[in-house]
Amino acid sequence: MVLFSIGGRMTDKAPTQGTVMTSFNDTRHLWALGAFLAAVGLVGMVVRREMIPDDFGTTGPYRASALDDIAAQPSLFQADATCHACHEAVKHERAGKSHEAVRCAHCHGLAVDHVAMARRGAEDATVALPPAAEWDGDFLTKADLYISKDRATCLSCHEAVVGMPADFKKIDVAVHLEEQGASEPLSRETCFECHGGHDTAP
Amino acid sequence: MSLFELPILSTLGAAAAGGCASGGCASGGCSTGGCGTAPAERTSENSRREFLKTATTLTLGAMSLTLLPGVTAGDDMLPLPPPGGDGHAPAAKPMYGFLIDTTKCIGAGKCLTACRVENSVPDGQSRTWVERYVHYKDGRVEVDLVPETGYAGSGEVQPAAEDVLQAYFVPKLCNQCVDAPCNQVCPVHASIKSPEGIELVDTERCIGCGYCVQACPYGIRFMNHDTGVADKCNWCYHRVMRNEQPACVEACPTGARVFGRIDDPDSEISKRLATVPTNVLKQHLGTLPLTRYVGLTDEVT
Repeated sequence: MVLFSIGGRMTDKAPTQGTVMTSFNDTRHLWALGAFLAAVGLVGMVVRREMIPDDFGTTGPYRASALDDIAAQPSLFQADATCHACHEAVKHERAGKSHEAVRCAHCHGLAVDHVAMARRGAEDATVALPPAAEWDGDFLTKADLYISKDRATCLSCHEAVVGMPADFKKIDVAVHLEEQGASEPLSRETCFECHGGHDTAP
Repeated sequence: MSLFELPILSTLGAAAAGGCASGGCASGGCSTGGCGTAPAERTSENSRREFLKTATTLTLGAMSLTLLPGVTAGDDMLPLPPPGGDGHAPAAKPMYGFLIDTTKCIGAGKCLTACRVENSVPDGQSRTWVERYVHYKDGRVEVDLVPETGYAGSGEVQPAAEDVLQAYFVPKLCNQCVDAPCNQVCPVHASIKSPEGIELVDTERCIGCGYCVQACPYGIRFMNHDTGVADKCNWCYHRVMRNEQPACVEACPTGARVFGRIDDPDSEISKRLATVPTNVLKQHLGTLPLTRYVGLTDEVT
């Protein structure tokens, strides 16, 4: 008996039976092949199930809950409406003025902590708002509220730069100060000696 | 002659020598020893055919198992649900648009900081930027990037105004292409076109291959140094879903950035789009951007 011979026994009897159309009777190997393929398929299915999130493809070719994950990101940059909810006088002070479109955050920072404390304070009277912080030259990046009257804040928009629209109010600092007769040394709050912040009219 | 035919032939050859009673052999005469090879080859043909038949059936059968419904966890070829179905968006999906008015931008860079802070973008990288195009009187056109704190105090040498013919700022951000190349190339479906038409990155699924960064013709996408995965402007999707304006729009002091629903004829952006001629970037690529620009020159497009 041959122990390993592919197809070795398939036609042992065929010629004696007088037929050319011998049948393939070595089915054992086919079963082995089938079992192997089935096992591969099974492993593939398990791997696929493990790799693909449950909610994949329910709303489109992506993980549906990713939309919720992204939408859960907190909004840091506060719209002016948030500030005006408490500081209503400022809203009226700025209404219709040239700085109406300038956001509170530009001169007072993101004030994330300030807003959070104020919201807690609305429910709990013992929560006191911290005083405004010192402006350290960074725009927006501080979590605390600050009040910047530094001229760098004003000039970050208004210093004349090539490319600005013709109708934008821009100044060449040296020329403007000379015109106004400003005396040296200039204070950090030079601009506020003539202009307001909320109402900028000189 | 393949390997597994060899023993068949040798066995058949031996059998044929013993008694050659097959039909094919009878016609040709069985007296010669060479006659034995004819039925042997034919039998080999038949067995191979049968073998292939059976093997193919089994293979196809095994493969078809994976197609059974319920066997697999999900199928990426599922059609989109009908409008009004459940999910994240309301029945009538809002359509958003973004309008950049280059004639209003002053290059203050407020939008850049707002975006960085809002979306925790690492230093040295940005989801949005502002280019300045300076056309000189001698025909040169130079482009530079607005510093995040604006030109004031940046110490950069500015072009002399008398040499300049024309200059303007062009803010850049994701164009949210309807036919987005970045979306198509993602191998793991981490690029999402939300039901509202906003292109998002699933940072959990992204494997950081960077293919989408290469694919974006506008250079919007980048590999976030902190997270190691793709990052991009998503029109502040989280804010938009709360009916807030994107951070850069909120931060713009001159109204150069306008965001809103283009399916609402009363929105500011709809009114602006209806009255002012606008253009898109790289229109020839056919990506169908949703971000539209006022005042684009040929140098920009």
